[in-house]
Amino acid sequence: MKKILLIIKREYLTRVRKRTFIIGTILFPVLYLALIFGTGYIADKSKQDFNVAIIDKSGYFTDTLIAKANRADTANKLSLIQIPEEAFKKEFDSLGYNGYVVIPQNASWKTGLDSLSFNTHNTYGIGATAPLEAKLNRMWSDIKNDSLGIDTLKKRILAKSNISLKINNEKNRAADAGSATIIGYVCGFLMYLILLLYGSQVMMGVTEEKTNRIAEVVVSSVKPFQLMLGKIIGIGMVALTQFLIWVSFVFLIYNVGKFSGHDAGAMANAVGNIQKVFTSVHIFLVVGCFIFYLLAGFFFYSSLYAAIGSAINEDMREAQSLSFPITMLIIFSIALMTPAITNPSSPVAVWASIIPFSSPIVMMARIPFGVPNTVPYWQLGLSMILLIGGFMFTTWFAARIYRTGILMYGKKPSWKEMIKWAFRK
Amino acid sequence: MNILEVHNLKKYFATQKAVDDISLEIPKGSIFGLLGPNGAGKTTLIRMITGIFYPDAGDIILKGKKFDPENDAKYIGYMPEERGLYKKMKIGEQALYLAQLKGLSRSDAMSKIRDWFKRFEMESWWNKKVEDLSKGMGQKLQFVITVLHEPDLIILDEPFSGLDPVNSNLIKDEIYRLAQNGATIIFSTHRMEQVEEICDKIVLVNKGKKILDGSVQSVKQDFKENLFGIQLENIPDAINSNVFETIKTNKQELIVKIKEGYKPNDVLGYFINQGVNIVSFKEMLPSLNEIFIRLVEGTPTARQFQKMES
Repeated sequence: MKKILLIIKREYLTRVRKRTFIIGTILFPVLYLALIFGTGYIADKSKQDFNVAIIDKSGYFTDTLIAKANRADTANKLSLIQIPEEAFKKEFDSLGYNGYVVIPQNASWKTGLDSLSFNTHNTYGIGATAPLEAKLNRMWSDIKNDSLGIDTLKKRILAKSNISLKINNEKNRAADAGSATIIGYVCGFLMYLILLLYGSQVMMGVTEEKTNRIAEVVVSSVKPFQLMLGKIIGIGMVALTQFLIWVSFVFLIYNVGKFSGHDAGAMANAVGNIQKVFTSVHIFLVVGCFIFYLLAGFFFYSSLYAAIGSAINEDMREAQSLSFPITMLIIFSIALMTPAITNPSSPVAVWASIIPFSSPIVMMARIPFGVPNTVPYWQLGLSMILLIGGFMFTTWFAARIYRTGILMYGKKPSWKEMIKWAFRK
Repeated sequence: MNILEVHNLKKYFATQKAVDDISLEIPKGSIFGLLGPNGAGKTTLIRMITGIFYPDAGDIILKGKKFDPENDAKYIGYMPEERGLYKKMKIGEQALYLAQLKGLSRSDAMSKIRDWFKRFEMESWWNKKVEDLSKGMGQKLQFVITVLHEPDLIILDEPFSGLDPVNSNLIKDEIYRLAQNGATIIFSTHRMEQVEEICDKIVLVNKGKKILDGSVQSVKQDFKENLFGIQLENIPDAINSNVFETIKTNKQELIVKIKEGYKPNDVLGYFINQGVNIVSFKEMLPSLNEIFIRLVEGTPTARQFQKMES
């Protein structure tokens, strides 16, 4: 036991003292935010405005109507063109138009216009032309309203015909699906990243010990199992340390922001949002569960990574091909997370959050929606028990591969051989 | 008293009988040579003695008691053939860590490391990393780490490979000193001249089996071929004797093989009768190298994979 503690201490200290750990801990949240805001910014910047010509054969689209529409919505400029379609087709590029829409002669406000073509020389995504479509639809409904004799007042009355359905959980008034979704995504992705990054750290650490031949020196003093367990626990503690630093960052920013008053604009806004999230979700439950699933999930996966690390030699390509099935399990879990967040009570969500391999990610995505309403206690308990059982099995299984692999040099073993190592006496 | 006894030890792998029924006894305080060609099973045997592998069958008795890998690790110091240290770890911390893993307390380990580093003039290395060391320096460090916890049984696998003569002698002297202080040294190698120089007792293994066991002197006696070297003032042109036959003629020396039933005196008598002046006469014992080659020769140079029934 004392020896395991020594190993844990070494694994932990050598990693935490590294410059890369300190930089990574500070830089990761910055990069994470930059990624979120950056993609939003780019999506905003890459919106396209079209200059569109309307060739109206029906006579509904008048200059006044188009001018009014352009005033109300400046995004896609429409202009009524009197040039015949055949002639215009050849020269709309040189006239500075992105394309043109032809309103057929037989269009009637009573029967409606099912489908029009936006004739261009490029292919645009559905998203890119959606604002243009909306603009044409608004004009078309104005034309219909006018023809029906519906004036501005009546129109305003009609416009208020939308009912928005809000979820009001009788048992848990504070529950807010919006915040829960955000926290669910953040938890799920964070778990995913930690499992993947620290899992491969375990794998590389084991391979390093093997190829440096230090393993043989160490296993003459301790059992291979102790060496493996020490490494896994040590690196798990590093992951936990990093997570706790991040959590305290958030609390720090939150509290500093709260006491510095609300005049700080964006800061106050952010604090307000965090406050809303904190009050709507049982934050201590989420953090507590996160720590449990982080450690248990980490033990589950990293012991498998350790087994692979012990089987491979210097070649990193071997590592990739052997660890692929494990990495696939993690990626599959993240794929299950999206439907689980969309409907956290669906059977897929429930089972994916109970079965050990996907439970760390999927359960963490569900927990923000509320315990025990969305996630009943029995599900949480069962999921935790199965995950503990799961990591005990993977650790046992991995240890048996590890003790053979760590001293085996030469050819890369296949998964079949590794399983054989695990199950022989 | 024997510090280590191994009885009928067996370890079979999927394709080989790596160690096949080996027994040996190592007296306390001796320097013991474990010899054998590549792939003979030396490393597997050592790994069982150090507790890295569990034997399939047989017993290991250490210090008169059944070997318990977990608690007996502190009595054993093992330097594997392939050197292994953490490249990025500071040398002082590394030595401290490995000594503590052997069961030494921090302060105990610290003072021992200081002593050894002083003795080997390594004090300035403390804050350096292993990757900064040359191969020979790494070797010295590995040796220090192996013997740091004052083990009763020190197992050295090719300890001199990569060392210059000065550092080789330094380590050799340490090996003698440790043996004098009561430690037992198992010395695994295929460099025979070192074995002849250092070891008291040897065991030769080949293909997983022990094929030779005894002291260096007795082994040489067992394999002697009644060869003698005679230095003469001038070598007669024709030598005709039924006592011996001439194997080789050097400038002033004859190598002769005495025929069965005759003694060295008969050879000397022959030359005295011939009136030839004898300068020197000595028995020519085979070198361990010759014995080794003779015993191992004829077996395939590389071990073949065998079909195993299990």
